[in-house]
Amino acid sequence: MDFLTFSANTLCLLSLIALVFPFSSFLVILQLKKSQGATISIFNISVSLIASLLVFINVWNSTTLQQQVEWFQVGTVSISAGILLNNLSVLMMVLVSAISLLVHIYSISYMKGDENIYKYWAYLGLFCFSMMGLVISDSLLLIYMFWELVGMSSYLLIGFWFTKDAASQAAKKAFIMNRIGDLGFLTGLMIIYSQFGTFDIGRLFNVGGLVDSASIINGFWISESASVPVIWLTIAGLAFFIGAMTKSAQFPLHTWLPDAMQGPTSVSSLIHAATMVAAGVFLLGRVYPLFDSIALNTITVVGVFTAFMAATIALTQNDIKRILAYSTISQLGFMIAAMGIGAYGESIFHLATHAFFKCLLFLAAGSVIHQLHHYKEHHSLEFNHQDIRLMGGLRKQMPIAFITMCIAAAALAGLPFTSGFLSKDAILITSFEWAEGYHGFKKLVPFVLVLTSWLTVFYIGRLIFKVFFGKSNYKGVKDAPWPMTRILLILAFFSLFPLFSVNPLSYDNSWLLQGFVPAGVKPFDIFHLLVPIIVTGISAIIVLISYKLYGGTATKQLPENGLLYRFSNRAWYLDRVYDLLFVRSITALSIISHKFDTLIVDGLVNSLAGLARIISDIIHWFDRHVVDGLVNGIASLASKTGDFARQFQTGKLQHYLITMLTLVVTFFIITYLI
Amino acid sequence: MNHLLSFLVFLPLVAALVIILLPSGFRDRFKHIALGTSLIQFFVSVFIYLNFNNSAAFAGVNKESQFQFVEKMAWIRLDLGSIGKLEIDYLLGIDGFSMPFLVLSSLIMFVATLASWEIKANLKAFFALLLLLNTAVMGVFCALDFFLFYIFYELMLLPLYFLIGMWGGVRREYAAMKFFLYTLFGSVFMLLVIIGLYFSVLNPATGNHTFNMILMMDPGSYLGSSVFSSVAPQSLLGISARLLGFIVLFVAFAIKVPIVPLHTWLPDAHVEAPTPVSIILAGLLLKVGGYGILRICYSIFPDAAIQSAWWIGLIGVVSILYGALNALAQSDLKRLIAYSSVSHMGFVLLGIASGTAEGVSGAVLQMISHGGLSAMLFFLVGMLYNRVHDREIANFRGLALVMPQYTAFVVIAFFASLGLPGFSAFMAEAFSLIGAFTSQEVNGLLPRWMAICGSVGILLSAAYFLWTLQRMYFGQTRLKGGDKWLQQLKDVNTNEKFALVPLAILAVLLGIFPSLVFSKMNASVLAFIQLISG
Repeated sequence: MDFLTFSANTLCLLSLIALVFPFSSFLVILQLKKSQGATISIFNISVSLIASLLVFINVWNSTTLQQQVEWFQVGTVSISAGILLNNLSVLMMVLVSAISLLVHIYSISYMKGDENIYKYWAYLGLFCFSMMGLVISDSLLLIYMFWELVGMSSYLLIGFWFTKDAASQAAKKAFIMNRIGDLGFLTGLMIIYSQFGTFDIGRLFNVGGLVDSASIINGFWISESASVPVIWLTIAGLAFFIGAMTKSAQFPLHTWLPDAMQGPTSVSSLIHAATMVAAGVFLLGRVYPLFDSIALNTITVVGVFTAFMAATIALTQNDIKRILAYSTISQLGFMIAAMGIGAYGESIFHLATHAFFKCLLFLAAGSVIHQLHHYKEHHSLEFNHQDIRLMGGLRKQMPIAFITMCIAAAALAGLPFTSGFLSKDAILITSFEWAEGYHGFKKLVPFVLVLTSWLTVFYIGRLIFKVFFGKSNYKGVKDAPWPMTRILLILAFFSLFPLFSVNPLSYDNSWLLQGFVPAGVKPFDIFHLLVPIIVTGISAIIVLISYKLYGGTATKQLPENGLLYRFSNRAWYLDRVYDLLFVRSITALSIISHKFDTLIVDGLVNSLAGLARIISDIIHWFDRHVVDGLVNGIASLASKTGDFARQFQTGKLQHYLITMLTLVVTFFIITYLI
Repeated sequence: MNHLLSFLVFLPLVAALVIILLPSGFRDRFKHIALGTSLIQFFVSVFIYLNFNNSAAFAGVNKESQFQFVEKMAWIRLDLGSIGKLEIDYLLGIDGFSMPFLVLSSLIMFVATLASWEIKANLKAFFALLLLLNTAVMGVFCALDFFLFYIFYELMLLPLYFLIGMWGGVRREYAAMKFFLYTLFGSVFMLLVIIGLYFSVLNPATGNHTFNMILMMDPGSYLGSSVFSSVAPQSLLGISARLLGFIVLFVAFAIKVPIVPLHTWLPDAHVEAPTPVSIILAGLLLKVGGYGILRICYSIFPDAAIQSAWWIGLIGVVSILYGALNALAQSDLKRLIAYSSVSHMGFVLLGIASGTAEGVSGAVLQMISHGGLSAMLFFLVGMLYNRVHDREIANFRGLALVMPQYTAFVVIAFFASLGLPGFSAFMAEAFSLIGAFTSQEVNGLLPRWMAICGSVGILLSAAYFLWTLQRMYFGQTRLKGGDKWLQQLKDVNTNEKFALVPLAILAVLLGIFPSLVFSKMNASVLAFIQLISG
């Protein structure tokens, strides 16, 4: 295999190729418009996959590569951009490009006939580019950038059918909720930058790196350049976790994911089940050394709770995609919880197996939806083709969909011989081992996880039995065309054990897990024996129960009006609570501030102007009536006096004599009498 | 080479004179003259950009010898007897802070001229005023003599007043008056401070009082007993005179920025102004405020600036959040964008207040970025308004089906404005916030919560932009004007693409290669930090 061994430079070039090719499909297809979107994007993503595989072969378990160039300088700090290739990133590269390729091929027939299909290919290209960039970046700033671009492409794809109101609303909701997480991520970035003055993941998180060598003394977190209260270390960890929570749809920031099912099913499969939602788990993996015990405990609690909550919701949903969406949330909860208990490798392991079987579940569901949709259009019927209550008996009509979906369901349920069995067991057993060392609520963690895995068995059993068993309502429905079903078969193979471990019943020898957890570090204990047996045994019983309930031709109606039922069916009423608590309050706040702005702030300005006008009016009045009045008054006094005096000037001698006489008489009277 | 800045400043004035002198028969050529002028300016400014020396020896800021493309002439020399000799220089020069604005100004002027195709009435006056405004804006960014600066600064008001008041919307007179009085209010008091500074500073070379800004930045050139002396602090009305001087200048520029609560002229002016004027208003006028704060308030009164940093940061945060919340409540698209400007300019204040290299670089980049993006946004609104004379968000729905290309540009502009990485606003806002956050560690000026609160603005901006997208552009088409509007709503034409594409390219380029701006101004930023931290 010497010809497949490359130098570091070539490997970096290859990963750049894996990154840039999907982006070129985005640019090229948007320019070319209608022609040949599929060919271009499938070619590009294949190149991406080949490059990723070559990089994987060279890097996995053998080396860690980091290459960077100076990007820009701000002040005295130089910010670099580069590539970091280690086990985690090369695994993600292969995972992303492989699943993308499969979904691309599947989409050819699934999206056939859509008039804006070229945009679909372009957006998928943008998504693959962003996701690739996210996993190979060596700088937190770059990861943040690709992180948001992933959100943007998800926005475009959820809202792909933008004329549907529900779709454009779901897209908006997804982006805005993800922005909340972005703020957390950004806060984390700011803390890291102010503490260490760099975003370089290598320098920060390598063994002996900046985070490693920062010390905690007397309640202060001290790095080379800064010293802050240790609470900031916890905040940094939690801030990054908030970022991870939104992308990986963890309680309480998960409500965007079920709505995101408004996008095409292929998109739900690729983005909202297999890859993008794993970005949160990936991020936790990247900044793992940063978490202190408070942060890890929070992560555990949130993960476990999310896993449980989403499973309870999935129990009663009737939309096939919504069930799968909640199951995704629940499984992501498993991964997050595994991160919290320090089962880093197990978490990544589950991420990888889940990517395949969840992708398959969605694509198989997509094939059912696709066929029923066509049936509906063909017969001009009106019914909800995603409602599992209206399905049934498709087992014989769609055998490939049935078989592949059963395999994926078994993997999700964690039944033996599937990949899910290996990774779920890994997490459950590690959680029992971890709980050994603790008291209190931590003891509960493994049991809640086990309970959740039983719930999983039940809801996925319900889905399978309702869709494929019982009586068929639709005559003449057939399996999806071969271009779609072949993808299901490939994914079904990847959902079985051989890809991940030679031994179908033990995860200890899984090559994937050993890439993260060195073999032989953990001793073999009783849990390795007990957990699989008990969990699987009870799971089998649950499968039977759900078959009894939902598998028969005449399905029994369970009561659907209990308090618990409604609580689960309405997804714990979280959407309504958020709507009241946040959406409405912010809308109200915005209206209040608008009122404040027009009435008070601008009102003040306008009343100042009004005041000035009133004052000027008063002055005007004063000027006119007092000042000018005085002047005019004096003038008129003069003229009045003149008028008065003029009266004496009559020109008649008699008047003058009378006047003189009067004056003289008056004079004498005054002088003599007084 | 030596008179490049003068050429840049006065070329539009010459063009304006030409337009005035040309007979009205050439009225259809006026716009081409204006467009040609701005194109020439653009090439000249790009030439200046390429030939700009970004080494530390040419940092500028407070050292006259380090400025580039300097032109200095004795302008007014008047013997005033006992008070000394009046000394006003014609002094132009640029450093890393002003140079990017020259490129931005010529680009925005180009776009604004393209947007003027819609203007039908009284073309001669319109283009003459537009070019006069161009001269004033360029002059403001080049002037280094405070008197000269003030002349250019006031010269901006006059054409704007008429441009809004004559070619504006229904309430244009109210808006024009409000804008004029608001700004005048600030600048009248500014004049007092300028005179105070004049009498406080001596030019060591000539022994006269001087209006030279750069000498005003040097504590050594102040007279010991003068009002603004930093050696022997004076007080006026019970507060330190230097602080008072700073506050007065700050308020004058902050009105332009604008800050909450001195912002209410902006939505009115924008809504009433014709599209090209909105573009210039948002793209350049607001930047004059931010530039003035950096070049004048901070550089002349660094001590007072440090003292007030907490308050300035607070004003920044309040503007970010308050502007964004108001934008969320608007029903008129143009008003929404006007308020979003208030919010985005808040980042400029926050970044400057941090007094860190990251923050100041982010603030300047934010001004450049927002200059381009707000021009783009107002241009897009103007396109819609031109076609159907309506801007109410509720009157449109599903525009993406009617005008797909137009919607594509709107999506680009909205996402760029809400700070999507890959576009300039992201880099700018991220570094303003990072600067504000690190400030506590570096110089203790701003508490960390300010940066965290400021970042909520990014969330809110996503909310109002995406909500608008969803309401106006997505969904099934439903227009208030019915079929008539469907006829009128033509997609983007070539002319409009010429305006939109350069702005989009600018946003992407600066988002991916922020060093296009950062590298040119880094030396100046460091010199500035040196200056204000003493």
